[in-house]
Amino acid sequence: MLRTEEPTSAEGAKQAPSAGAAPSRMEWRDRLSRWDVKFSPYLYVLPFFLVFAVIGLYPMVYTGYLSFFSWPRFGSGHGPFVGLENYAHVLTDATFHKAFWNTFGIFLLSSVPQIMVATVLAALLDTQLKGRSWWRMSILLPFVVAPAAAALIFGAIFADRTGLVNQWLDAVGLPMVPWHADRFASWTAIATMVNWRWTGYNALIVLAAMQAIPRDLYEAADIDGATKIRQFFHITLPSIRPTMIFVIVTSTIGGLQIFTEPRLFDTNLRHQGGSDFQYQTLTMYVFNTAQTATDPYPRAAAAAWILFLIIVGIALVNFLVTRAFQRRSLS
Amino acid sequence: MTRRPGFLVYGLLTAFLLGSAFPLYWSFVIGSVTRQRAIQSPPPLMPGGHFFENAGRVLDRIDFWSALLNSIIVSGISAVSVVLFSTLAGYAFAKLRFRGANVGLVFVVATLAVPTQLALVPMLKQFSNLGLTGTHLAVILPWVVTAFGVFFMRQYLVDAIPDELIDAARVDGCSMIRTFWTVAIPAARPAMAILGLFTFMQVWTDFMWPLIVLQGSDVQTLQTALDALKVAPGQGQADMALVQAGTIMATIPLLLLFIATGRHLVSGIMQGAVKG
Amino acid sequence: MSKISTSWRRGLAAGAVATLLAGLVTACGGDDAGGEQAKLGKDDVLTITTFSNFGYEGLIKDWNADPDRPFTVKETVISEWDTWKQSLTSGLQAGTGLTDIVAVEGDAMPAFLAEGASDQFVDLSDPDLEDRWIEAKYLEGQTADGKQIGYPTDAGPEAFCYRADLFKKAGLPSDRESAAALFKDWDTYFATGEKFVKKVPNTKWYDSTGSIAQAMLNQVEFPFQTKDQKVDADNPELRKVFDTVSKYSPTLSTQVVQWKEDWMANFTNDGFATMPCPGWMFNNIKDSAPDVKGWDIVDAFPGGGGNWGGSFLSVPTQSKHQEEAKEFANYLTNAESEVAASKVAGNFPANLEAGQMLAEENAKDPYFNNAPTSEILANRAAAVPAGVPFKGDKYSDILGLFQQATQRVDEGISPDKSWETFLQGVEGLS
Repeated sequence: MLRTEEPTSAEGAKQAPSAGAAPSRMEWRDRLSRWDVKFSPYLYVLPFFLVFAVIGLYPMVYTGYLSFFSWPRFGSGHGPFVGLENYAHVLTDATFHKAFWNTFGIFLLSSVPQIMVATVLAALLDTQLKGRSWWRMSILLPFVVAPAAAALIFGAIFADRTGLVNQWLDAVGLPMVPWHADRFASWTAIATMVNWRWTGYNALIVLAAMQAIPRDLYEAADIDGATKIRQFFHITLPSIRPTMIFVIVTSTIGGLQIFTEPRLFDTNLRHQGGSDFQYQTLTMYVFNTAQTATDPYPRAAAAAWILFLIIVGIALVNFLVTRAFQRRSLS
Repeated sequence: MTRRPGFLVYGLLTAFLLGSAFPLYWSFVIGSVTRQRAIQSPPPLMPGGHFFENAGRVLDRIDFWSALLNSIIVSGISAVSVVLFSTLAGYAFAKLRFRGANVGLVFVVATLAVPTQLALVPMLKQFSNLGLTGTHLAVILPWVVTAFGVFFMRQYLVDAIPDELIDAARVDGCSMIRTFWTVAIPAARPAMAILGLFTFMQVWTDFMWPLIVLQGSDVQTLQTALDALKVAPGQGQADMALVQAGTIMATIPLLLLFIATGRHLVSGIMQGAVKG
Repeated sequence: MSKISTSWRRGLAAGAVATLLAGLVTACGGDDAGGEQAKLGKDDVLTITTFSNFGYEGLIKDWNADPDRPFTVKETVISEWDTWKQSLTSGLQAGTGLTDIVAVEGDAMPAFLAEGASDQFVDLSDPDLEDRWIEAKYLEGQTADGKQIGYPTDAGPEAFCYRADLFKKAGLPSDRESAAALFKDWDTYFATGEKFVKKVPNTKWYDSTGSIAQAMLNQVEFPFQTKDQKVDADNPELRKVFDTVSKYSPTLSTQVVQWKEDWMANFTNDGFATMPCPGWMFNNIKDSAPDVKGWDIVDAFPGGGGNWGGSFLSVPTQSKHQEEAKEFANYLTNAESEVAASKVAGNFPANLEAGQMLAEENAKDPYFNNAPTSEILANRAAAVPAGVPFKGDKYSDILGLFQQATQRVDEGISPDKSWETFLQGVEGLS
């Protein structure tokens, strides 16, 4: 690590006698250099915080503030202060509870297999493939396809009567799966859509980290006669730990905010996440609440803040578990 | 040359590729048949010969070229900006020691968890007050630097650059920014390429925000312009051949970008050299 | 720590706070920016947003081509109401960002008439125009205290479409005139259905539970709310509609949701024999089943009449060109414009004179066995009673929950349980 406390004591001592005189060139350079070391980091991170202050902060403050007020639908200004009423409404809403478990279920079915497959895929792509840049790019193809176009395909695959999967099942004499009526089946279908879109994306991130691993580590392992599997667990995984944490954290957050796929999957005319809220997720709940009859925006804002706290909580647990697990298994 | 993959690897990858590419392929199939054929069942599985005819109709219906130009401008500027600022900030968080670094990083990650569904209203208010509605800048500004980008670069760089390299550069008398330029940038290249690609694609496919903030203005992006193609003539079924032809036309530039960036995603060799 | 660093940190903090404050102040200060009106010149642009197909493209092109035009018009078309609704809602809540004229979908209109919301729209009332549109439709754009916030663009008077070939197969009267008797009331309609499915077991009687439920509940005077806007969904008449469609769900309904893949597929595999048919549905059937021969339309509707769909043009108060916007909305909904739009978009005009003009042309549609489509629709429009159903401010929300409830029954949940969930959902709306 670079230290801010540069060894400046010697120069500092020299500086004292020449006080009063014009600072020499050397001294200016030193001072500039010291400032450079001290302030550069702040300068580098400043753009993010500046942009956040201008763009990100206001919506947060705005939704936070309004979550304590009433605000009639389509009104131009908010109504009176209502305390925690909006939060109480959300927390006691049966649909919210359902949405919580739906989100968690879909999250487990998507993020977990997604990360595992992405890591393996990245490892495969990290080998000396023929035409590897083509392979590498090809795994990002699902990400290029507009979500609406993908929805068209998955609609044809998962339609309850005429869908591809059910036609096949029917052809071989198996019972059809009620994709949109059964809770678990709907989660599975949605997780499939999510995984299709995001696995390649995560694989590419992991792959970038794998490429930064010095090749001589593997050569040494080869000489020692370690198998590929062993090398994967003992060299590859430990070396990409920070990136794995990144992928796990962002997939967790993304998974808990899942919105596009269940909405596109929905057959319910009002996008309520199925006729019985089988697959309404928390972000869909926030979105739909913002469209309902009474205090839509404040209630949705309250729901959004509750969702934020849930995500932070889960991400934190996730991070601690990952870290503890990696420490134990790798040390 | 010890890590040569076998048939199994190629088999797995091919299966994955087929699954990945099929929707895009099907999109093209629908975009290359006639309007009538597109909604007949069974659905077409082989491309027809009408793609250019459909593309011509897309060009008649919407102002495709100006939308394309706008999309290139907003996606391009966003991508460059995100890469530049995220790399800078990520490098600072990963490799430089300064007070508040840890708190700052946790803060960056926490902002990722903020649900964005409700941000549209306050953002619209804000952008309108700043006089930005209907401008390119309105679409670019939310993407100038992202928490995702900063966190990504930080995690990538923390192990990718050995501290000794930075110390060596400093001892040579390099300024901080020069050290960043000569040490961090080369090491960060694969991650920068990926981040740039991702950002470009995300801005390219973004729909709701541009739709709202560009409403009624002459500046339209590809996604907001393409939406008009879904309008069914005479309240009937949407012209799927037209819609998919438009989708494919909007995807081609992304594929070209893919090919252009692909090279930068392969840089393991260079990494080894730096570290060795 | 050195002095520089502390003072610098203080500076940073002060700077950050200043930025934040600046952000907040600029963000909150501009609320009253709207209001002042600006006159438009010939080349100044008036903006309008519509969704789906309003058929205005040609009209606006002609308007802009006129050298004597008072101003220029630019239309933005968004493909779906759902998308546009979100954008519109954001614009209303933010108090900025909307075009000078906005199109509003009919079922959503009651929510815009509510207190608080209606303040966001300009009063368009004009004594000269009061008798211009179908009365029922015109009143749907009016608040309780008489403020007109929308001009009707089109209406959705419903007839019934049916498959004459399948009727013949089932031994039912298949020509337009004699088939009409089968649609005289709901009891006859359902009884015929039961006969039909016995004869043609692979075809269901109607296209979806949702379309029949909607048709029936729109004949209930107070389906969801009483006249004073009080929510009263647990009423015997609504329950009767629900029980009826639930009862016939397993036998007569396809049990699929409208507009989705399975529903579309039913057009080409003889999935059903009848469906409620507003004018805008005609082209949908043609496009979905281009090769099917046998579709026809009866000039009848069980239980009288019914309206499905029809939109409005409104002017938000945030517009800086309210006068011009009103003028142009007036122009787009006059008889000639609505006839022209109807010919492009295939919907039935809400303008009475326009409806008359179309009926006089006496167009016949060869696809529907030469049915006199505009005459039928004009007759059907006359059969729609004004003010029924009463649409309260939560009409659209409760309708959504009700359709969801019928979908649950289609998917196998018991009617009682589904009704209970429905009432719970309605409770959550207030």
